[in-house]
Amino acid sequence: MDERLAADLVAVLDKRRVRVESLELALYARDASVIEGRAGVVVFPNSTDEVQAVVRVARAHGVPIVPRGSGTGLAGGSVPLDGAVVIVTTHMDRILEIDEEERVAWVQPGVLNLDLSRAVAHLGLHFAPDPSSQQSCTIGGNVANNSGGPHCLAYGVTSAHVLAVEVVLPDGSLTMLGGLDPDPPGYDLRGAFVGSEGTMGIATRIAVRLTPLPPAVRTMLADFPTVEGAAAAVSGIIAAGILPAALEMMDAEITRAVEAYVHAGFPTDAAAVLLVEVDGLPDGVDAATVQIDEVCRDHGARHVRVAADLAERALLWKGRKSAFGAIARIAPNYYLHDAVVPRTRLVEVLTKVYEIAERHSLVMMNVFHAGDGNLHPLIVFDRRVEGVMERVHAAGTEIIEACVAAGGVLSGEHGIGLEKRDFMHLIFSPDDLDAQARLREAFDPNGTCNPQKVLPAGARCGDLQRIPEGAWI
Amino acid sequence: MTFRLELDDDELSSCVSCGLCLPHCPTYRTTGDESASPRGRIAAMRAVQWAGAPADDSFTAFMERCVQCRACETACPSSVPFGRLMEGARAALLHPWWKRLAYRVVGSHRLLVLLSTVAALLQRAGVRLPGLPRLPLRQAPLHASGTDVYLFTGCVMDAWSRSTHAAVQRVLEAAGAGVALPGRGADCCGALSVHAGLSDHARQLAARTMRAFPGDAPILVDAAGCGAALKDYGHLLGTAEAEAFSARVLDVSEWLAARMDRLPAVEPSARFGPSVAVQDPCHLRHVQRAHEHVRTVLRPFADVIELDDEGMCCGAGGAYSVQQPELSTAIRDRKLSAVARSGAKVVASANPGCAFHLAGAGLDVRHPLEIVDEVLRGR
Repeated sequence: MDERLAADLVAVLDKRRVRVESLELALYARDASVIEGRAGVVVFPNSTDEVQAVVRVARAHGVPIVPRGSGTGLAGGSVPLDGAVVIVTTHMDRILEIDEEERVAWVQPGVLNLDLSRAVAHLGLHFAPDPSSQQSCTIGGNVANNSGGPHCLAYGVTSAHVLAVEVVLPDGSLTMLGGLDPDPPGYDLRGAFVGSEGTMGIATRIAVRLTPLPPAVRTMLADFPTVEGAAAAVSGIIAAGILPAALEMMDAEITRAVEAYVHAGFPTDAAAVLLVEVDGLPDGVDAATVQIDEVCRDHGARHVRVAADLAERALLWKGRKSAFGAIARIAPNYYLHDAVVPRTRLVEVLTKVYEIAERHSLVMMNVFHAGDGNLHPLIVFDRRVEGVMERVHAAGTEIIEACVAAGGVLSGEHGIGLEKRDFMHLIFSPDDLDAQARLREAFDPNGTCNPQKVLPAGARCGDLQRIPEGAWI
Repeated sequence: MTFRLELDDDELSSCVSCGLCLPHCPTYRTTGDESASPRGRIAAMRAVQWAGAPADDSFTAFMERCVQCRACETACPSSVPFGRLMEGARAALLHPWWKRLAYRVVGSHRLLVLLSTVAALLQRAGVRLPGLPRLPLRQAPLHASGTDVYLFTGCVMDAWSRSTHAAVQRVLEAAGAGVALPGRGADCCGALSVHAGLSDHARQLAARTMRAFPGDAPILVDAAGCGAALKDYGHLLGTAEAEAFSARVLDVSEWLAARMDRLPAVEPSARFGPSVAVQDPCHLRHVQRAHEHVRTVLRPFADVIELDDEGMCCGAGGAYSVQQPELSTAIRDRKLSAVARSGAKVVASANPGCAFHLAGAGLDVRHPLEIVDEVLRGR
């Protein structure tokens, strides 16, 4: 640890908000993925000014910076490498302004996603992107990863809900990207920033769109004897001309793990379940409910249950959104993919994914956003078993290759981070990667802002990014 | 100074670090520090036990900042036994002599009453005693009225707030139950010692407590922290006898909720005047998971208001408010805001620690059955 760096950081913050002690630094070495790095210093700024000051100090010392919210990321995006300065946004957790008429809220990056929806519920509004970690994850993190969530099927991902972002750029200067006007003039740099995973600067204030709560909601749980039947029903529902608010699938193992936690009455003998939600005006919702019931039964559903009230609905969603966290009931570690495949090829890809896991003697589960083909193949394992990581990585690579071969992409919503960085060449040509690297350079010419993430080594000519010694992936 | 951790490896590995516990943890919510979160504390335990990190002062500080509310346990989809891990970690910490002595005092009821009386006299003489509520000088003794149920009297509750026991006893009698009192030895359930990691002392207190409740009558508890500890004797002592004892233990509201038809009905005009916000003691909500019964018991007698903070801890945490005053006060501030938002004038709390802690901030806090008692007596 560089003592002069720490002293300079203390000078712009205070002693309590600059952490250098080794055990505490170790707690910031990872996020919710299995990737570990090494933090040099961890700081907790309270304001935009302080973020600017921290960025300038780090820059003066030539030390990279890594922004971090709640650390619920699944791709290693906020994992620090090379003793970076970790800038934690948890102290910047205020909702600054709520404009009920314009349906816009200005928030600091550390506001928790669900806290915002709760704070505006009495106005009949909510923040639509709802990652499964929404109770814990920050809106700053949602912006960084362009996060999705079950309801993004109908409402769109985070990018569709971010109007403007105040950004501390990698040189410490401040800028505003986007604006509250319906169509701000000039290039949509806001669009470039959302999903940039902390490589273009740090958002310090975010203007988000608030969405009216739907007048009527119906949540259904359909229970299938085969995974194929459930997957076919997904295509069937969309083909019938219905756009559900959410359309989620869970396979047998994950359903059992979740049921053991929530006791929501998930069928533990089903091969797969679909959680389908429709919302809108009451008559339309009623009609869609009947239609979805029919489509599911046509594809072999044994039972379709409609949630009787809000409490039952909440419990079903709690189950779905707890899925990753419930994994330790089966094994203590998971490695999660986030590939998106064309909906029409779901059945085929799923079959292949199970095959790959079996070939590598791994336990594989699937819980995912079926409606938009966003798979979350989840390999569960115990890291303490010798040689298991090699098998996990080998299977992971094959799964990604299979998804890409089926016309898919690497990530639906979790981001690329470190985890999928080296797969980028599967879907982008050298020219594509070079163009992206040049966009990034326009924001961060010195490469100090969350370096080594997203783009693989060699994305630019003469680029020598590589995973440093000691980083554990 | 360093020491060894000997936690169960399987329990320690059962956290997948998803972070779903974070917003439910009062110290994480208050500080935003990973080291003050359940996930971070487990990571620190792992670093010490598995990766050879020194169990130094920072490790001790991270562990001691936990309120042990166990809200992370109800939030955890993988049911990580966080309370047990934390108790195990605390057992390994080096405890200074004055702390051990303090727990000895609580374990001896006569000494506790004596010291409390001295403290009460000092308070009357105008001496400020930080961390203590206003203590009573004299308390009327309780008298047994039958053998249907036991009322657990305990340590601090009996020394500082025996009038609550009296109110609870009257309500139980109104429901037709004859109330027995424990024999000698039930001075303290040992909860504070368990939380501090002084498990040998806790086991001594538990064994002594069990002997004070002969027979098989239900043992009713009006202090949520004690109820949680008594219900865990099976695990603490690991004997069939302790299991059987724990099975007899119920929170008073838990017992009463199943017998509400035995209580007299009250006219609407006789109901409790002010609306009542229910504060769920963590060890009733997250450990005993019996907090709904408080509402069942209160509703016929008072207008019940729910707080909007999902049962977030109030920061009392047994001895926590004395050991971590700064954090404890910051956590309490969140609770005070929630109570203010609710508009309630009276707060019902089924645990003395929470009640003293919140009353210390100027709230009107009563045990739920004190409210029922007041309504029944005013009919």
